[in-house]
Amino acid sequence: MASQNMDPAAAAASSTAALKGSESGGTSARGSVSKRLQQELMTLMMSGNKGISAFPESDNLFKWVGTIDGAQGTVYEGLRYRLSLEFPAGYPYQAPHVKFVTPCFHPNVDEHGFICLDILKDKWSALYDVRSILLSIQSLLGEPNNESPLNMVAAELWDDQKAFKAHLHSTFKK
Amino acid sequence: MAAPVNIQTPSKTWELSLYELHRSPQEAIMDGTEVAVSPRSLHSELMCPICLDMLKNTMTTKECLHRFCSDCIVTALRSGNKECPTCRKKLVSRRSLRRDSNFDALISKIYPSRDEYEAHQRQVLERLNRLHNKEALSSSIEEGLRQQARYRNHRVKKPTQESDNTTFSGGEDNGDARSHLSHDSAPSHTPHTPPRDDGSGPEGDSGSPTPPLRHHKEGPASEIELVFRPHPQLVHTQDYNQTRYVKTTANATVDHLSKYLALRIALEDRGREQEGGGGEEKGTTGGGDIGEGGEGSSLSNISEKQYTIYIMTRGGQFSTLNGSLTLELVNEKYWKVRKPLELYYAPTKDQQQPQPPAAQREG
Ligand SMILES: [Zn+2]
Ligand SMILES: [Zn+2]
Repeated sequence: MASQNMDPAAAAASSTAALKGSESGGTSARGSVSKRLQQELMTLMMSGNKGISAFPESDNLFKWVGTIDGAQGTVYEGLRYRLSLEFPAGYPYQAPHVKFVTPCFHPNVDEHGFICLDILKDKWSALYDVRSILLSIQSLLGEPNNESPLNMVAAELWDDQKAFKAHLHSTFKK
Repeated sequence: MAAPVNIQTPSKTWELSLYELHRSPQEAIMDGTEVAVSPRSLHSELMCPICLDMLKNTMTTKECLHRFCSDCIVTALRSGNKECPTCRKKLVSRRSLRRDSNFDALISKIYPSRDEYEAHQRQVLERLNRLHNKEALSSSIEEGLRQQARYRNHRVKKPTQESDNTTFSGGEDNGDARSHLSHDSAPSHTPHTPPRDDGSGPEGDSGSPTPPLRHHKEGPASEIELVFRPHPQLVHTQDYNQTRYVKTTANATVDHLSKYLALRIALEDRGREQEGGGGEEKGTTGGGDIGEGGEGSSLSNISEKQYTIYIMTRGGQFSTLNGSLTLELVNEKYWKVRKPLELYYAPTKDQQQPQPPAAQREG
């Protein structure tokens, strides 16, 4: 079983804990996180949002791959970005770690794909979910915050939308 | 509860909605009369927005009246900003919350066998942790929904009065499913989620016999449950002999459902491939190409065109459903009985041969 990425002993332990009535904090927390993630997945699959998608990567429910299509009418139109979302054990009380996998030329995204977005940091709320995160990032693409850029070049070029678009599309790599 | 309309004093004006202006007082029901409540709106009312599960030991914020499970809100306050997760109103401490035992009582009335339901949920999760693959994941979601329906008190019924044409007027422009999830109430910075449900949804329909429990400005979509079977004449039973139970928002369209199905079947095919170690003998009908290809990429070829959705009409005929119809419309137009909507699916005819992938491919 190459795809097994969970310690079988841990799995056995968690099942006995669940039978006893889940008094131990750790395992029940993990259970409630996966429960919530399942709910989110279900809603996402059924909601038919245009321009965003997300799905667990391989067998791991705590790591998802998402895609965002650049919104119509923005310089990002026609480009599709892949992102990774990792959910900490404290999710949804703690924000997931979200970054671009596809390199993204944008004022608020750095060369490693890290995103500067308030709702992923101090403005996080337990009510945010994968869907609202992806929609927020999608709108961030078209409306950057140029006050606190991570990518200075992109921030400076932003005002010249024509040049920005030309640079963006000529350097876009999947 | 219902106050006379003219209560406003000149010093304080309230913005009253049309519904509020015209509604008449509701008599409290003191005898054993049963009142129908839509199960679709029920779920979102009883759900905790943090764990997305049924509220447990309900706590209500004193100022903004948002409800959460006790554990959920306490953890949220401990680990995050001292504000209401729903509306960001300041919550100084636990004292900004109060127990809502009436709400707990309401839930236990509706879901009398909740303990059983939760025990089952635990088992499902446990099994999921052991199997740990996508197929298990998606089937456990279905199983969860099925169980939820089973453990719900069956006296909760769907109102039948909604089936006349008046409800369609509001439904028309609800085709866009984007703004219909319950989390839109979160303080969002996205301009993409306008709360456009106000008053246009079925809940704003004052002809309904039961007023909404509380007005939901965010308007989470009402939900619809349905049973999904392979078309008995067009699908070989050994191919898709599964009955699927699906719960979704009522404004999802037939196309959404079809796409979901394509995804489910693609995932199941992949799961089977992995298990069978590359066994070739699985008579996939149509869209057989979607199961191939390594990680992630193949899923992007999924389209709502791969499967056609049918409903059985009164004469026992199967009629094709237009992809743009919302499930709510289907339910009201074709399915006027008090049980989950039953639909049938089969691979779309002209898609039987492998499809060249559409112009853009994902990298
Ligand atoms: Zn909760
Ligand atoms: Zn609140």
